[in-house]
Amino acid sequence: MVTASKVIEVPKPEPGSYKPRRPAGLLLRAQALHVREALLKHLEELAGILTVDPKSLETEADVSAYVHGATAILHRHAGRPK
Amino acid sequence: MSVGADNLKHIVVLMMENRSFDHMLGGLSLIIANGAKKYPGINGLTGNESNPDTAGSDVKVAPGAKFQSQLDPDPDHHFPGVDLQIFGGAPPGPGRVANMKGFVKDYFTQTNNVNGSHNIMNYFTPDKLPVLTTLATEFALFNGWFSSIPGPTICNRAFAHYGTSFGQVGMDVFYTLDPILSVYERMVAGGHTAKIYYYDQQSSTMEIVNILKNQPQIFGSYSQFVSDCQTGSLPEYSFIEPCYNDHPGPDGGEVLASDQHPDHNVQEGERFIAGVYNAIRTSPSLWGTTALLVVYDEHGGIFDHVPPPACTPDGYQAKPADTGTSETFLFDRLGVRVPAILVSPYVPKGIVVPGPEDPANARIFEHASIPATVTNFFLNGDAKRTIREEKASTFLDLLSGPMRADSDIPYFNL
Repeated sequence: MVTASKVIEVPKPEPGSYKPRRPAGLLLRAQALHVREALLKHLEELAGILTVDPKSLETEADVSAYVHGATAILHRHAGRPK
Repeated sequence: MSVGADNLKHIVVLMMENRSFDHMLGGLSLIIANGAKKYPGINGLTGNESNPDTAGSDVKVAPGAKFQSQLDPDPDHHFPGVDLQIFGGAPPGPGRVANMKGFVKDYFTQTNNVNGSHNIMNYFTPDKLPVLTTLATEFALFNGWFSSIPGPTICNRAFAHYGTSFGQVGMDVFYTLDPILSVYERMVAGGHTAKIYYYDQQSSTMEIVNILKNQPQIFGSYSQFVSDCQTGSLPEYSFIEPCYNDHPGPDGGEVLASDQHPDHNVQEGERFIAGVYNAIRTSPSLWGTTALLVVYDEHGGIFDHVPPPACTPDGYQAKPADTGTSETFLFDRLGVRVPAILVSPYVPKGIVVPGPEDPANARIFEHASIPATVTNFFLNGDAKRTIREEKASTFLDLLSGPMRADSDIPYFNL
């Protein structure tokens, strides 16, 4: 429980401050480029798994390696922050 | 160690965007009380600092900074532009002096308007920024915290995560093959906990290298940060990113950018800083065990009067093709000064950490100080690091006082 005697009021921005149509600056454009690069890395990893035909797996070691790779990808795409 | 450091369990870093020290806090030096400076230790403005404009006039700093719609177009803060800002247009070469005289000239290259270029000299009067100025005067303010590179956001933020930008001075996509891990990976590998909290998925992260390295387990959202504070599940190290863009909220409402990057609303950033502070302040289990650092990634092209000092090189070079100048940059000098404040109930009230204005006692900080502090504290320095990070100043010695009374600590009413 806060017992501060120094309570500082913090003003809100004026109405009309919200400008989602503002042109994106260099930083945000760079961020979009970086995120796309990250997606491509995921795509490469996903493609690597999908090129393997599960019916071709013969040993328990084969299956465990395949399931490990797939599970790792699925795990990363589950429970993402909102 | 101090009592504060003995009790420390969490370090939280909030990194804002693109505002210089003088622009945000320089006005504190102009407050007079009882015939004298109220904050004599702060290396802010005298009111006489100036830059020449392209028409030959001298433009003084002015208390005219606005929350929004003033620094549009966005001031230049890429390597060649910052070089002009720092050196006033003197070409790279031996003997040139950092005079901080090129800010107005450089902003003219964006505005093409002489009067508009003067806006780069504006600063906020302290009453306009109740959150930042309250924290600056109630806790520890750094006179000498500089951006790591005289350049833009992504390479500067890399220093906060890795203690290096791996030779980058710009915004390009880059990968690292080095054995240097991010501070988050170091923490996890050492059996500790660490997380980057980005605002939401529309805003996401500027910790670019880590998302390329498939490390989503170290990411969370700001709502998770608030929840983690409330439930006592905050990691040992947390890095918080503000909202980087205006976008619709999940309920159709308006989510404003809170990063304070021009031309985003500065008051919304004030509210975000206050929200992070309050989340820690109001948690009985966190307040006495947490140190919060509020810092800006770089100056955003906005005037500051302190020439950046030299620093320990990190072993990389950026060639002229990358710097956009005739210079090969050796990462041997810092970027422009930024606001930085350390908050903890163990920080004595209103201390000012001396910077270059006090050569005998100066302590120079930059973003490599962040992983250096975290790695030294939690991992006893046991990690592969650049020499730059190993030499970087750390800041937990500032938790040097007894725990201050709750009634002595401010609270922000949002």
